[in-house]
Amino acid sequence: MKNLLEVEDLRVEYRGRPIVDGVGFSLARGESLGLAGESGCGKTTTALALMKLLPDGLSQQGSIELRPEGAEEPIRIGKRTEVGMQVVRWRHISLVFQGAMNSLDPVKKVEFQIDEVICLHEKGVSGKQVKERIADLLTTVGLTPKLGSRYPHQLSGGQRQRVMIALALACRPSVVIADEPTTALDVVMQAQVLELLERLRRDLGLALILISHDLGVLAETCDRIAVMYAGRIVETGSVDSVFSNPQHPYTKRLLASLPVIGGERGLAPAIPGGPPDPGNPPEGCSFHPRCPYSTERCLEDPALREVAPGHQAACHFSPWSSWPKVEPLKVGEGL
Amino acid sequence: MSGRWLTGKVAAAILTLVFVILFNFFLFRVMGDPTTQLARLPRATPEEITKLQAAYGLDKPLVGQFTDYVGDTLRGDLGTSQRSRRPVWDEIVDAMPWTLLLVGTGTIIATLLGSWMGVIAATRRGQKTDDGLLGFSLFTYASPEYWIGIILILVFAVWLPILPSGLQVTPGVEFSSFFAEALDVAEHLILPATAMTLMLLGQYFLIMRSSMVDVLTEDFITVKRATGQRWDRVVRRHAVPNALLPLVTLSAIQFGAVVGGAITIETIFSWPGLGELTFQAINDKDFPVLQGTFLVFSFAVIVANLLADVLYFYLDPRVKAT
Amino acid sequence: MTWIGAFRLIVTSWRGRFGLTVLGLAVFVSIFGTLIAPYDPEASSLAVLQPPSFDHLLGTTENGADVFSQLLVGARVSVLVGFAAAFISAVLGSMVGLASGYYGGWTDRILDALENWFLVIPTLPLMIVLARLLDPSLTVLIAVIGLTSWAGTGRIVRAQVLTLRERAFVERARALGAGDLYIIRKHILPNTLPLIFANTVLIIAVAILSEAALSFLGLGDPTRISWGTMLESAFNSGAPSAGAWWYVIPPGLAITMLVLSVSLLGFLFEEFINPRLQKESREVVVPEEAVTPLTQRQS
Repeated sequence: MKNLLEVEDLRVEYRGRPIVDGVGFSLARGESLGLAGESGCGKTTTALALMKLLPDGLSQQGSIELRPEGAEEPIRIGKRTEVGMQVVRWRHISLVFQGAMNSLDPVKKVEFQIDEVICLHEKGVSGKQVKERIADLLTTVGLTPKLGSRYPHQLSGGQRQRVMIALALACRPSVVIADEPTTALDVVMQAQVLELLERLRRDLGLALILISHDLGVLAETCDRIAVMYAGRIVETGSVDSVFSNPQHPYTKRLLASLPVIGGERGLAPAIPGGPPDPGNPPEGCSFHPRCPYSTERCLEDPALREVAPGHQAACHFSPWSSWPKVEPLKVGEGL
Repeated sequence: MSGRWLTGKVAAAILTLVFVILFNFFLFRVMGDPTTQLARLPRATPEEITKLQAAYGLDKPLVGQFTDYVGDTLRGDLGTSQRSRRPVWDEIVDAMPWTLLLVGTGTIIATLLGSWMGVIAATRRGQKTDDGLLGFSLFTYASPEYWIGIILILVFAVWLPILPSGLQVTPGVEFSSFFAEALDVAEHLILPATAMTLMLLGQYFLIMRSSMVDVLTEDFITVKRATGQRWDRVVRRHAVPNALLPLVTLSAIQFGAVVGGAITIETIFSWPGLGELTFQAINDKDFPVLQGTFLVFSFAVIVANLLADVLYFYLDPRVKAT
Repeated sequence: MTWIGAFRLIVTSWRGRFGLTVLGLAVFVSIFGTLIAPYDPEASSLAVLQPPSFDHLLGTTENGADVFSQLLVGARVSVLVGFAAAFISAVLGSMVGLASGYYGGWTDRILDALENWFLVIPTLPLMIVLARLLDPSLTVLIAVIGLTSWAGTGRIVRAQVLTLRERAFVERARALGAGDLYIIRKHILPNTLPLIFANTVLIIAVAILSEAALSFLGLGDPTRISWGTMLESAFNSGAPSAGAWWYVIPPGLAITMLVLSVSLLGFLFEEFINPRLQKESREVVVPEEAVTPLTQRQS
């Protein structure tokens, strides 16, 4: 059986510079995939590209195929026009935007906005049915249905975030993308939102793409994980496999920077340098200038390849059975 | 609480108006004893002058005169026109409907047209349409409205004589019905209202455009698009209503300009409103009339600002919370 | 905010170039108009309301005077009144805004109320009443326009002073013993001047339109020709009905172009100043009091 979502060679460019540089992954029904990486690596752009919501000035290419339940033909998002996307968006794939502060129309009540979305995609739904569904949705995300008659500014940040999740579920899509759903929330809210997402996934059989720079969050909630760096996926596999046995130096460093309860105290080693300038990408492996293990070989582009069952990495030297001890790189060092 | 806020605003409005009356009063005193002007009769005897002074209450102390003046004003006694010898109030009442007609028509059309143009320009930002509309609006904003009026007369009343060049009705004609007369008035209204509209268009356009541009950058617009709504619906249902809010208050601030335009445009078209009245009063140095129209114009602007505040309060759910 | 930066800003944008060119032309004509004009603008002749010809580039007026010469000479009044009235308005507005914002308390309340009154009241009717009171002349025009247009500047200055007053460098200066006037002069004013300047440029445009309107209504200086009085004469003598477009179009067009050029420059300055002001108004002037100890300065 084919996967729910297949992305192949997705590219996004801005004025000739690649922001997303050949990203590909697949998502099975009911699976949750985590998209990890630091700010600017292209995670949000990838999410927007999946729904063809890129702002003007960015061009996208590549194949995106969605096979919702019961569909005979796959929806070829990559080839759809703006008009063609209007029936796909939200109905089959929805997005919980980063920062829900201003994601709702300030002059319309919450229930109106959910109503609007439902009626947009489902003709012939009676007013009563819609009301019931709205109440249902709000309860599902842990809010009292009464809150529906309020205006966005009358809700707290956490409540607004939940409304956005409710909105994303309104048309019962098969895929929900959550872009940094826990950033800007306190730890308690974070846990609640993650638990909510997980419960929804189980109960509704949703496939989830969770985007976060916080590996801890992804470890908790996701089945599989894809690590992005400079617009490319550098490692992907099951969360267990990747976290216990990282096969890319970048992933290794990211994991090393996670504090472990009971582990050594002290500052986590930072990765020297910063992400590459998209206008002037490094030759070959985009991580090699910051990689302590880089050699001349790294000037050649490493392709993403299987290094363990279900586990892929884009490094010439993987599979790594053990990580040799190296002096931490000073800033500016590396090939 | 909204009640307290409202009372505060009304109190401020009343206070502003009181100061206008105060201002008028001091002007009345500064320009000197009106009796010497009115009594420009040859060889007026001192007794007659004293009698006139008493009649005008000029023999009372200053404070007494002021309270009299305020009392008179509130009762609608704004003095007597030096030219027509009629009460200023009557002149104003006669002229007011015509000004309301002109200003009302111009403002409504300018608001609708300007807003619509603003939305279009904002959604086509940076393109030729936007540049063209911007250029047009800047031009009308910078040009004197009476000059536009003159050009309109030149084009539509002289070169292609399809519209009348002035007045509110065709003189000397007997009308068969109210409807026929109304039609005649409407025909005479076209050019002055066009001049007024063109004068205001630029402002409303620029405000709406900038407001729309701001709103279109907001997150919730992208979210609405993400939910699969057609772009034109997103603009119409979500961007425009949010963009209209600042338009209400900002356009109230421009009301002073509307008044100024009314004066000059009515002059050009001999439209018998408050503006034409003012113009004649300027020529005749008819101070009671000038002060009277100044009072009425100020009152109108103050009320317009108050209405705009109240309207904004009811339109923006966020303000109600405060 | 440097003069060089501002200049570069103007020269690189087409709006700036247009504005500067037209404004420059207007200023040039206002100074040399009387020398360039081919005819005495007030000289009447028998060639009444004649369309443009080789003799009279823009035709003649109802008195047979040369329109083109009138146009050239009339520039002076518009430019002069515009700049002078705007200057007065700027000085007045700044003083009120500074006093109001800096001293606060009752000073602020009274001045702010005064400011709000002037902002609400319709300006043209106010100007008409004041101007009619006095005998019309250039001075009267400048005074009346200047005295009624200051409130906008006042409000902007007040807002700026209010934010500056609480800034760290002002507190520091106060702690070091600096007096009010010193603080205003050295810290508040330099950070406010760019704002005042940008606003005043826009007031110039308003002043030019105001002079034109007042002149058109008959309150202009009867001894001078201005673009407004040209429109007044044209209208009163029935030029529109006579189809004398050469008399009617040029003065209005001149006003429009001048106002447009000044406005464009004003908008440009505003854009330039606004984002900068948030960033840069930390310490535009190095606080000397922090460098030279108090004891030294007192010698």
